[in-house]
Amino acid sequence: MQVQAGRIGEITEITAWDQALRFFSFKDPALRYALAGAILLGLNCGLLGSFLVVRKLSLVGDTISHAVLPGVAAGFLWNMEKDPLAIFVGATMAGLLGSFMVSRLTATTKLKEDTALGMVLAGFFGLGICLVTMIQRLPTGNKSGIDKFLFGQAASLGGSDIYLMASVAFLTFGLVWIFYKELLTVSFDAGFAHCVKIPVSWFHHGFMLLLAFSVVIALQAVGVVLVSAMLITPAATAYLMTDRLHRMVFFACLAGMLAGAMGAFFSFLGHQLPTGPFMVLSAAALFVFAFFLAPRHGIILRWWARRSRSGRVRRENTLKAVFHALEQDGFRREGVTFMTLSKLRRQTLEETETASQELRQAGFATLPPGEKAVYLTPEGMRRAQTIVRNHRLWELYLTDAANYPPDHVHDDAEEIEHVLGEDLVRQLERQLNFADHDPHGKPIPTPEQMVSLHGQDKSASTGSLGYAKPS
Amino acid sequence: MRALIPTWDWHTIFVAPWTTDFAIYGWIFLMGFLVCAACGLAGNYLILRRMALVGDAISHSVLPGLAIAFLAANAWRTGMAAEVNGMVDTGGQEPGMIHGFAMFTGAMVAGVVTTLMIEIIHKHTRIKQDAAIGITFSTLFALGVVLISVYADKVDLDADCVLHGEIAFVSIQPFFSLSGVEIAPASVVLMGLVAILTLGLIVVFYKELLVSSFDPGLASSMGIHAGFVHYALMCWLSVIVVSAFEAVGAILVIAMLILPGATASMLSTRFPVVLSLSLLHAAVSSILGLHLAIWLNSSTAGSMVVAGAGLFGLVWLFSPSQGLLRRWVWLRKNKRSALQAESLHPPYGC
Amino acid sequence: MTSDPNIEAVRSSSGPLSMRWTQGLSDAEIPLEIHDLTVAYHHKPVLYGVDLAIPPGKLIGVIGPNGAGKSTLIKSIMGLLPTDSGWVRLFGKPNKKNLGRVGYVPQRESVDWDFPVNVMDVVMMGRYGKLGLFRRPGKKDRSIAAACLEKVHMMPFADRQIANLSGGQQQRVFLARALAQESDLYLMDEPFAGVDAATESSIIDLLHTLRKEGKTILVVHHDLPTARNYFDMLILLNMRVVDFGPTKEVFTYEKLQKTYGGRLTILSEVADAVRQTKA
Repeated sequence: MQVQAGRIGEITEITAWDQALRFFSFKDPALRYALAGAILLGLNCGLLGSFLVVRKLSLVGDTISHAVLPGVAAGFLWNMEKDPLAIFVGATMAGLLGSFMVSRLTATTKLKEDTALGMVLAGFFGLGICLVTMIQRLPTGNKSGIDKFLFGQAASLGGSDIYLMASVAFLTFGLVWIFYKELLTVSFDAGFAHCVKIPVSWFHHGFMLLLAFSVVIALQAVGVVLVSAMLITPAATAYLMTDRLHRMVFFACLAGMLAGAMGAFFSFLGHQLPTGPFMVLSAAALFVFAFFLAPRHGIILRWWARRSRSGRVRRENTLKAVFHALEQDGFRREGVTFMTLSKLRRQTLEETETASQELRQAGFATLPPGEKAVYLTPEGMRRAQTIVRNHRLWELYLTDAANYPPDHVHDDAEEIEHVLGEDLVRQLERQLNFADHDPHGKPIPTPEQMVSLHGQDKSASTGSLGYAKPS
Repeated sequence: MRALIPTWDWHTIFVAPWTTDFAIYGWIFLMGFLVCAACGLAGNYLILRRMALVGDAISHSVLPGLAIAFLAANAWRTGMAAEVNGMVDTGGQEPGMIHGFAMFTGAMVAGVVTTLMIEIIHKHTRIKQDAAIGITFSTLFALGVVLISVYADKVDLDADCVLHGEIAFVSIQPFFSLSGVEIAPASVVLMGLVAILTLGLIVVFYKELLVSSFDPGLASSMGIHAGFVHYALMCWLSVIVVSAFEAVGAILVIAMLILPGATASMLSTRFPVVLSLSLLHAAVSSILGLHLAIWLNSSTAGSMVVAGAGLFGLVWLFSPSQGLLRRWVWLRKNKRSALQAESLHPPYGC
Repeated sequence: MTSDPNIEAVRSSSGPLSMRWTQGLSDAEIPLEIHDLTVAYHHKPVLYGVDLAIPPGKLIGVIGPNGAGKSTLIKSIMGLLPTDSGWVRLFGKPNKKNLGRVGYVPQRESVDWDFPVNVMDVVMMGRYGKLGLFRRPGKKDRSIAAACLEKVHMMPFADRQIANLSGGQQQRVFLARALAQESDLYLMDEPFAGVDAATESSIIDLLHTLRKEGKTILVVHHDLPTARNYFDMLILLNMRVVDFGPTKEVFTYEKLQKTYGGRLTILSEVADAVRQTKA
C-alpha cells in the first residue's frame, strides 16, 4: 500500500498496534476501498476458482491471468490513460484469446495441454512486457502506473474500480446461482451433460468469459502474477473441507474473502507492504490450516482416524474370533484359551497375547493371571455380538438383495462390518425382514440377545444362539 | 501510435548492431542465445515428462530462495566484518563469490522445496497436481515479493528485474578476467558455463534421462533411480533458471524453457533432431528478438520471447506433419465438415 | 417425421446388412440408425463407413478388439465427437434433436471420482435433461432418483461421496443415473469393466428387466466368452461393422476371426468361446 505508506510516513513512530486500531476504525477512505476490493475479489475468485479446481483447470486460470497483460497495455494505448473500461475490455479480450489459443493448440497439434498452457502464458506475457516497456518509454507513459498491474496496488483502488468489481462479482454470483446444476454436470461429466441437452461448449466459453472478467478486476488489487493464487488456493482449501460442490463453493468464497481481508489488514500494519502478496500468503495460511486440520481430508485427522480405525479393526477382529470360539463350544465355556484363539486366527501365541492385551486395555476382556485365557467382559461380549451381527447381516444382504453368490460375500463383509453404522444396520434388518440366519446357516445375534455372559438376562439361553449359562 | 513505434531505420536496426555497436549488442545476443539454449535444452525434457508447468512453478519459486540467500549472505558478511573488525576486503571478487554461491544454493533449495511441496500436497490430499502446482508457486512467489519489499534495502533485486529482467545490463557489466586477460562480462561467462554444462550433462546422461522420462518403470528395472533423476533435473533446472534470472526474469524464463522444445517437436519426432532444432530456435529467436528490441526500443527479453513465439506460429502454420496449412488442405480434400463439428469437442480434452 | 427422399435413396443403395433387422418398421420405431459414419483422429480413421439400423427392444453387445472404435461409436451416436461423414438418427430424428430419449453410461474412468458430489447428486443429474435450464429438481425428481438408486441396490449409499465406493458400486451409480433419465435407448460404454462377478450378474439382470419394458440397450463389451450369453444381438466392430445379427448367427469362429484379425491371444480365447458354444 504505497499510497498509504506515503501518508503514514508523515505520522512518525506509529506502532503496529495503533495501526491495527486505525484499521478497525475504517476511517481511512483508501483503506475502505482497498478492503472492499479485496473482499469482492476473494468472493469472485472463490466462486469461479472452485469450478477450476474440480475441473482440473487450475492452471488455465494462471494462463489467462498472464495472458491479459498485452490486453491491459492495448487498453491503455486506446486513449493513453488508465481508463478502467478500456483496460477491462482489452484485458478481457486478451484473456479470451489466450484461452482460445490453448484450445486450438491442443486440438490441432500433438502438443500436450501443459505445454500449450505454458506457451500461451509465456508468449502473451512476453508480448505484454514488450508493450509495457514501450509504453513506459513514452513521455506520458512513465506516469501511467501501468506497471502497477504487474503486482497490483489495492491502495490505489477508487470508487469506480469498486463499482466495477462489485458488478462483476454480482454477475458471477447470479450466473453461478442460476446455472448451478448445469455447471455441476458440465464440470463432473461433460459427455453426460451433452446427453442431457446442456449446451456444453456454451457453458465452457461463458465460464471462460466470466473467468477473464474476474481476472481483470482482480488485476488492480493483486496483479497479473498473483491472481491465479486467489483463484486456486481458496478453492483448494475448500476442496479439503467438504464433499459437496455447493458447500465447496461456499467455503471457497469464505476463504477468499477472509484472505482478502487478512491481506488488507497485514499490509496495512507496516509500510511499503504490498497487499496482493499478503492476500496470497493469507490464503496459503488458510490452506495450510485446512491441509492439517480439515475434518475428513486433513492429514492429521486422517492419520489419527487411520490409526484408531486400524486399532479398532484389530480389536474387533480379535473379539470376533473369541466369539466364534465360544460359539463353536455352544457357549458352554466362559473363557477362550490363547491356544484356541491363536489356532483360529492363525497367529503365533505371542501375537494372540498382544491382541488379548489390547482387548483388556479397551475394557473388553479380562485376562486372569496364570490362566492363559481370555474372558470377555459384558461390554466385550456386546461388542463381539454386534460385530458378528453386522458381518452376517451384510453377508445376507449381499446374497439376498444384491445377488452375490454365498461363497463370495465373506471378504466383502470382512471390510464392511467395521464401518456399518446404526442406521444402516437398522435399514438392513428391515430390508431382510429381520432374518435370523446368515447365508452360511449360522444364527445372527439379535439385539434382544445382546447380553452379557454373566447372566443378567435369562432370555439369552432361549435364543437361537442357544448359549447356556457358564458352569 | 506513431510515438509508440519508432521509425524503421534499416541501418540502426540491422547493420549497426553487428558493426559499430557490436561491442554492446554482441554480448547481448550471446547472452540471449545462451539463456535460450540452456533453457531450451532442459525444457525438452520438461515437455517430454509433461512437466512444462512444473518449470513454470520453479521459475517463480526461485524468487524467495534468492531473497533468502541474499539476506543470509549479507548477514554472514556483516558477521565476518564484525569479527575481524572491519579488516575484510570489501572490494574485489570476494562478495561476488559469496553472493554467487548463496544464489545457487538458494535456488537449488527452492527448486527441491517446490518439487517436494507439490508432491506432498498432491500425494497426501485429493488435490490434483495442477492445483498443487498453482498453490505452491504462487505462495512461494508471494513470499519472495514480500521479502523483497520488506528488506528492500538489503536485497539487491527489484520488482521489474523479477518480472522481465534486463539483458542489456550484460554490456555494462565488469568483465570477468582470468589471469589478467579479460574474457567476457561475468554473467555471460556464468551463463556460458551453465549452458555448456547442460549440454554436457545431456550428452553424458542421454540414455538415463530419456529412459526415465519415457518410462520410469523401465528405468528402475534398468537400475536407474527415476526419483533421483527427477530431483536432479529439478535441481539443475533451478540452476539454469537462477542464472537466467537477471537477464530474463522469473516469468519469461518459462517461455525460454518451452518455446524451443515445443517448436522443435512440431518438426520432428526424433529426439536428437528435436534437441538440435531447439538450439536452432534459440539462436534464431535471440537474433530476431534483438533486432525487434532495437527497433521498438522495448524489453530485450520480452522481444526475444515474442520472436520465439512468432517462430512457433510459423511452424504451427507450415509444419509438414502437424501444420494448420496441411490440416486445412487435408480437410478441404476430404470435403467434410470436421471443423464445424469440432466445436462440439469438449475444449481442453476434458 | 416423414422420410426424407435423400435418406430413402441412401437406404436403397446400402447393402442388406444395415437394414436387415428393421424391415417393416417405421422411422420413429427404429431406435438407432447410422449411415456411412466416418470418424477420424489426427487424420486416421477410427470408424469407417459404419451402417447400422437397430431394432427396438433388444439387448445388443458391441464387441471388437482394442482400438476397434467401440467407444468412438457410442460417443459419435451421442454427437460427442466430430464426424467426418455420415449421419446418426435416433427414433427417426437427427441425433442432436432426440438426445432426450437416450440414456448414457460413460466409461468409469471418464470422470474424476474425487469430485465433491455424493451418490444422490450424481443420480440427480439424470433428471436434468427433463428439467431443462433454470428449473431446479423438485420432490418428484428426488423420488424418481431414489427409486433408481433402489433398483441398483445403492440406496444405503445415497449420502456417500463417490470416491468412497467400490468399482462395482460406482458403476451402479452410473447405471442409476441413466435409469433416472427415463430413456428408451441406453448406450453403455463398458459397464462391466472393473466390476466383480456378482455385480456383473446383477447388472445383467437389470438390463434384462429394462429390455422387458421395451427399452433398447447397446452395450460395449470386451469379454468374449460372456458376450455369447449376455446379448440378444451382437455388433462385431473393427473400424467397420464386420457383422451385425442375432448372437447365434454372428458368434462364429470365422466371423470373430475376421473381427479380431491375427491377434493370437484373443484368437485362442475366441476358439475357447466357440468351443463352449458347441459343447
